[in-house]
Amino acid sequence: MNILICIKQVPDMESKFKINGEGTWYDRADLAWRMNEYDEYAVEQAVRLKEQVKDADLTVLCIGPDQVTEAIKKALAMGCDRGVHITDPYSAKREPIAIATMIAGFAKGKNFDVIFTGMQSQDRGSAQVGVMVAELLGIPAVTTIVGFAYDNGTIQVKRELEGGSKALVTATTPVVLTCQLGLNTPRYPTLPNIMKAKKKELLPLAPDVGGLGPRQETTACAFPEKKGGGLVLEGEIPELADKLIQLLKEKTTVLA
Amino acid sequence: MEFTREIYWNVGHGFTTLAPMYGLLLVAVAVCALGFFKRLKVYRLGQPLDRTDGRGERVKHMLETMLLQTKVFRVPGPGTAHALFFWSFFVLFIGTALIVAQADFTDLLFDIKFLKGTFYKLFSLTLDLAGLVAILMLTGLLVRRYLIRPQGLVTKGDDALMHGFLFAILITGFLIEGARMAITEMHIPQLAAWSPVGWGVATLLAGLDEAGLRTLHVVLWWCHLLLALGFIAVLPFTKFRHIVTTSANAFFADRGPTGKLTTVNLEDENTEKFGANELGDLRWKDIFDADACTLCKRCQDRCPAYATGKPLSPMQVVNQIGEIAFTRPDANLIETVGREAIWACTTCRACQDICPASIEHVGKIIEMRRNLVLMEGEFPGEEVMAAMEQTEVNGNPLGMGYAARGDWAESLGIKPLAEDPEVDLLYFVGCYASFDKRNIAVATSFVRLCQAAGVKVGILGKEEKCCGEPMRKMGNEYLYQTLAMETVEVIKGYGVKKIVTTCPHCFNTLAKDYRDFDFDVEVVPHALFLEQLVADSRLPVGGEEFTCTYHDSCYLGRHNGIYDAPRKLIRSMGGRIAEMAKNRDQAFCCSAGGGRILAEEKLGERINVKRVEMAVATGAGQLLANCPFCLTMFEDGVKGANVEEQLRPRDIAEVLAERLALKNA
Amino acid sequence: MKTLLVAEFREGKLRAEYSQLIAFAQQQQAEAAMFLVGSAGEVPKFNGTLYLADAAKYGEYNPTVHKQLLLDVIAKEQPAQIVFLHSSYGWDLAPRVAVALQAAQVSEVVSVDNGLPVVPVCNAKLRRTIKAITAQTVLTIQAGAFGMEAEPEGTPTVVEIDTGAAGKVQCTGYEAAKIEGVDLTKAEIIVSAGRGVGKPENVAMVQALAKALGGEYGASRPVVDAGWVEHNRQVGTTGSTVTPKLYVACGISGAIQHLAGMKKSDFIVAINTDRDAPIGEVANVLVVADLKQFLPVLTEKLGAR
Repeated sequence: MNILICIKQVPDMESKFKINGEGTWYDRADLAWRMNEYDEYAVEQAVRLKEQVKDADLTVLCIGPDQVTEAIKKALAMGCDRGVHITDPYSAKREPIAIATMIAGFAKGKNFDVIFTGMQSQDRGSAQVGVMVAELLGIPAVTTIVGFAYDNGTIQVKRELEGGSKALVTATTPVVLTCQLGLNTPRYPTLPNIMKAKKKELLPLAPDVGGLGPRQETTACAFPEKKGGGLVLEGEIPELADKLIQLLKEKTTVLA
Repeated sequence: MEFTREIYWNVGHGFTTLAPMYGLLLVAVAVCALGFFKRLKVYRLGQPLDRTDGRGERVKHMLETMLLQTKVFRVPGPGTAHALFFWSFFVLFIGTALIVAQADFTDLLFDIKFLKGTFYKLFSLTLDLAGLVAILMLTGLLVRRYLIRPQGLVTKGDDALMHGFLFAILITGFLIEGARMAITEMHIPQLAAWSPVGWGVATLLAGLDEAGLRTLHVVLWWCHLLLALGFIAVLPFTKFRHIVTTSANAFFADRGPTGKLTTVNLEDENTEKFGANELGDLRWKDIFDADACTLCKRCQDRCPAYATGKPLSPMQVVNQIGEIAFTRPDANLIETVGREAIWACTTCRACQDICPASIEHVGKIIEMRRNLVLMEGEFPGEEVMAAMEQTEVNGNPLGMGYAARGDWAESLGIKPLAEDPEVDLLYFVGCYASFDKRNIAVATSFVRLCQAAGVKVGILGKEEKCCGEPMRKMGNEYLYQTLAMETVEVIKGYGVKKIVTTCPHCFNTLAKDYRDFDFDVEVVPHALFLEQLVADSRLPVGGEEFTCTYHDSCYLGRHNGIYDAPRKLIRSMGGRIAEMAKNRDQAFCCSAGGGRILAEEKLGERINVKRVEMAVATGAGQLLANCPFCLTMFEDGVKGANVEEQLRPRDIAEVLAERLALKNA
Repeated sequence: MKTLLVAEFREGKLRAEYSQLIAFAQQQQAEAAMFLVGSAGEVPKFNGTLYLADAAKYGEYNPTVHKQLLLDVIAKEQPAQIVFLHSSYGWDLAPRVAVALQAAQVSEVVSVDNGLPVVPVCNAKLRRTIKAITAQTVLTIQAGAFGMEAEPEGTPTVVEIDTGAAGKVQCTGYEAAKIEGVDLTKAEIIVSAGRGVGKPENVAMVQALAKALGGEYGASRPVVDAGWVEHNRQVGTTGSTVTPKLYVACGISGAIQHLAGMKKSDFIVAINTDRDAPIGEVANVLVVADLKQFLPVLTEKLGAR
C-alpha cells in the first residue's frame, strides 16, 4: 500500500505576530514554528494505517523553505518512511490552488492509495488544498474526519458536523482524507524512532506549478480592531448589566 | 586471688569440644559464604557500576555509619534502641572473640592469658551490661513491632525468626553464665559482683543441685554454640544479611553531587534501549539496594506521595526490584511497580535522605520513567505530553510565545545580554518567573533588590529557554539534553562569569547537571545571594518585626543542604520564624518537583493543601518560600484549603524588597 | 452582481443558516439565486429562483454529484459569486467547484471591506483582505458573521434539477452527538465559574447565566478540584482548551493555567471584584462587581429581552 501525508509548517499560534513590510502577511521574525496541528492528527492516522496494513510505504511531503525539514523530521520520527521536501522559499505567498498543483504534480502516477492531509492550516486556514488535490488527481475526497477505519480496500470514516453529530461515510481507495482535530491522539516520537528518522530519505524537489497563473491576491493583512479591548466597567449593578448586554450586542454575534 | 574464669569450664577444652566446634564453625561460615555468593550472582544481573573511587573516603563513611550508627540515630526512638542493641551485640561479639583468642590461641599455644585481674572484671561487667541492654532493647523492638504495630511497618516470618534467634542467643548466654557462676563464683562475691546479671541468674537457679546445674550448663553451652553458628549460617538467607549488606552499601554509596541523575549517552548510535523496564537494565547497585533494605519504612513515612494516598511507596519499589531479581527475573519492572506509582514521585529525596541503608530510591524511578517516555512515548497524562511539545516549540512548558520571554523586564531598565553583555551577573529567570504573573512579581522584586545594591543584572530574554529540569525528571532525557546543550552554548557565548537564579530547580540543574556539558560557571541561588548582600551591608534592612513561617524547598534544602542562610536572611529583615513541625531536612514537599509541575494530581489528597495546612497550623500569617514551583503550589493550596484570609504565600525576595520599601523606578 | 447561494440540508431538515447567505447577498446588494439539494417539502423563504435537487435521490452528502448539479446551475446562471457557508458541507464542496471553474476561492469571509472580502487568519489574530483576479469567485462565509435583522420571508420559484453523475463515496447514516459528557471545545458560548463563586451553591448562578446566553458552563481548576463542578467542564491547561465566541469568566482571577485554556476566545468578559486580576489582561471587558450580585441581575435582564 502507498500512503502519502501532506504537512505544513506553521508558526506557533502563541507567537506575537507582526505584519510584514509589504503589509500582506505576518513577519517571519520572532516566531516559533511547528507542524500544523491538523496535520499531526493526519500523520498519526497515516502511521496507524501503515502499522495496520504492515506492507505499506508512507511518504511525508512538505512545501516550504529550508526550515520546514524540522517538521518533516518530526513526521519521520512518528513513523513515516521517507520524506519529500518541495523546497520553495516563497511557499507563504502561494495560493491554495498553487500548493495543490504542486502536490498533485508529485502524486501523479505514484498510485497513492490514501492521501492524508490536515483539513486546514492554522495560519492561512483556507481549508482548500486537500480537496483541490483530489479534484486535480480525479479521485474522491472526504473532509473533516474524526473517525477512521480501514478494511481491505474499504475505508469507513466519520465526518464531524456542526453541533457535534457525525456523518458516516464509506469510500474505497484511492481517496484523499482531510483530518479534523481529535481524530486520534498523535504519538510522541520515541527516541529510537527520532534517531532512525535522521537516516531516512529526505528528497528535495524543486517547486513546479506548471503554467498556473494567479487567481487571487492579498491586498492587506492587519490586526482586527480591538473589540473594546481592556474596557473596565464599574458602577451600579443594574447599569453594568445593561452596558454589558449592549456591548455583547455590538461586539459579538451571540445575542441575536 | 586471681580474678578470672576457666574458659571451657565444664564443657571440656579438648579435642571433643574443639573439633566439632571449629568443624561446625567452618560449616556455618561456608554456608554463609555460599549464601552470599549466590546472591552475588543475582546482583550481577544488573549493569556494571564503579563505586570504588575514593576508597579512603568510602571506608571512612562506612565505618562512621556502621560503628557510630549516625544514620540510624536520625529517628531517635527506634534509632536509639537499634544503636544500643547493635553496640551491645557488637561488644558481646568482641567479648567472644577475645575469649576464643585466649582460649584457643594465646593460652593454648603461648600460655598467655589476659582475661584476668582488673581487665577481666571490667570485661565481665561490660559484657553483662551489654547483654542486659541488648535484651532490653530487643524487647523494646519486639514490643514496637508486635504490640504497638506502627502504621506501615511490614512484618514477616523473617522478623519472628530474627527476634527468636537473638533472644535465644542472649538468654542462653545468661543462663550459661548463671549456671556457671552458681557453682564457681557464688562464694566469691567480689568477683561475682562484676557480673551482676549473671549473679542474678545464678541466684534464680539456686534451687538446682550441682549435677543439675552442670547438665544445664553444658547443654545450654552447646545450644548457644549451635545458635550462634546457626546465626552465622542463616545470615544471608534472612534480614540478618543487612549486617553485611547495609554496611557494604555505605561503602558503595552515591557520593554525589546530591541528587544528580545518571546521564544517558545519546551520542552512541548503537544504543537501542533507554531506561529500565527489565532487571538487566538496572545497575547491580539497584538490585543490591534491595538486600541492604531492612524495611524500616523511614522512607515511606516521609514520602509525600505515600502520605496522600498515591500508590507509591519508595520502600516497596526498592523491594519489588529485589523480589523480581531473586524470584522472577524476567518480570517487567514497570508492570510490577505500576505506572501510577512511577509517575507519583516528586524527587523530593526525603526517602534517600533519611535512609540509613544508603539506598538510592529516586534513580530507579527515573530509569523507569525514561523507559516509558523514550521507548513508549508515554507520559502520566496528555497535559504532560502537551507541555513537552510546547517546550520543543517555544522553549517553555507553558506554551507562551518565546519572543515575549523578556517582556516582563521591559519597564525595569535591565537589558537582555544581546543588547548589553557587560553585566555583573546573569539572572537566569526561568520559565515561571518569565511568564506567570504571580512569579513575575518575584523576578521584579529580585531585580529591584539587585539595583538597590548596585549590582548590574542582565537577562537572556528571548534567548533563554527552559533549563530542561522538569523534562529530565519526567524521563525525557533527549529533550533535556537538547535544551541543556543549547543553553550552555548561549551562556558560554556571552562569557558569563556568574549566574543567579530565583528558581532552585534551575539552580540545581545549572550548577550540577550541566557539568556534564563542560559548564562550570558559578551559579548561586537567590536566597544565598541576597543573604550575602545583606551580610555585606549592601542592602539596608530592618524594620518592624513580623511573624512568618518558612518552607524549605526540596531543591535548596535536601538537595543542596541550604537551610541556614535563608533563615538568616529572614531574621535580618525582621522576620520571626514560627517553624513548621516538618522543616529543614524533614520538610514536606510542595508536590511540584520531579516534573510534576507539568502534571495534574489525580489521586488521593492534594499534597500542596496538606503542606499549606501545616503552615496554617503555625499561626503565622505568611508562608515564605524560595521557589516558584512552591509559590505556585501554595497559592493553589491556599485556595484549595480555603485559608486565603489566614495565610499569604510569598517569596523571600518579595518580602525583602517590601522591607526596603523599594519603589518603582 | 449575480450571486448563487448554496443552502444546506441535513438529516431530513433544511438548515436555517441559509438566512446568513441571504444577508450576505443583501449586504452587497447582489441579485441572488439559490441552490439546494434538499426537499420540496421544506424550501428556503426568499423571493428568487431556487434550483432544487432531491436529496432523497442524490443523498445529503455526495460531493461528486452535488458538484455536478451545482456546476450545471452555474453554467446556466453565470453568477459572479458562488457563496457557501463555511461549514462541514460548504468547505467540502466549494473547492471542488473552484477547481472546476478555475476560479479563486476565498474561505471564511467575516466582512466585506470596500467590496473586498476579509477573512480571519492565524487563529483569528489577523485579518486578510483578498481580491479575486478571476471573473468568478467562490466564497465561504463564516457562521454567524452575517445575519438578517428579521426572519427571512418569501416564496422561491423552484426549478428542479437532475444529473446523471455518479457518486464516489457513500454517506451511510448519522451518529447523534453524545449528550452526556459535554465537550466544551465545541461550545460557542461558555460561562465559567471560578473560586470567586465562593460556595458550591453559587455555581447555579453561573449555570443560569449560561442557559440565558444559550451556552455551556465551565469552571476553573480550583472549582473542579473542590468537586463543585465535574472535571469535563474544566477549562485550562489540564482541562479543555476552548475557543468560543463568548467566554464569561466569573470570579476567575486568571492564573496562567486557566488563561492558556481560554484566551483564544473571540470575546472575553471577566466579572471580578479585583480590578487588577490577571484575567483583565486578556478580557475585552472587565466588570468590577461581585458576581453573586451581578449574575442574577444580568441573567434576569437577558431573559427579559
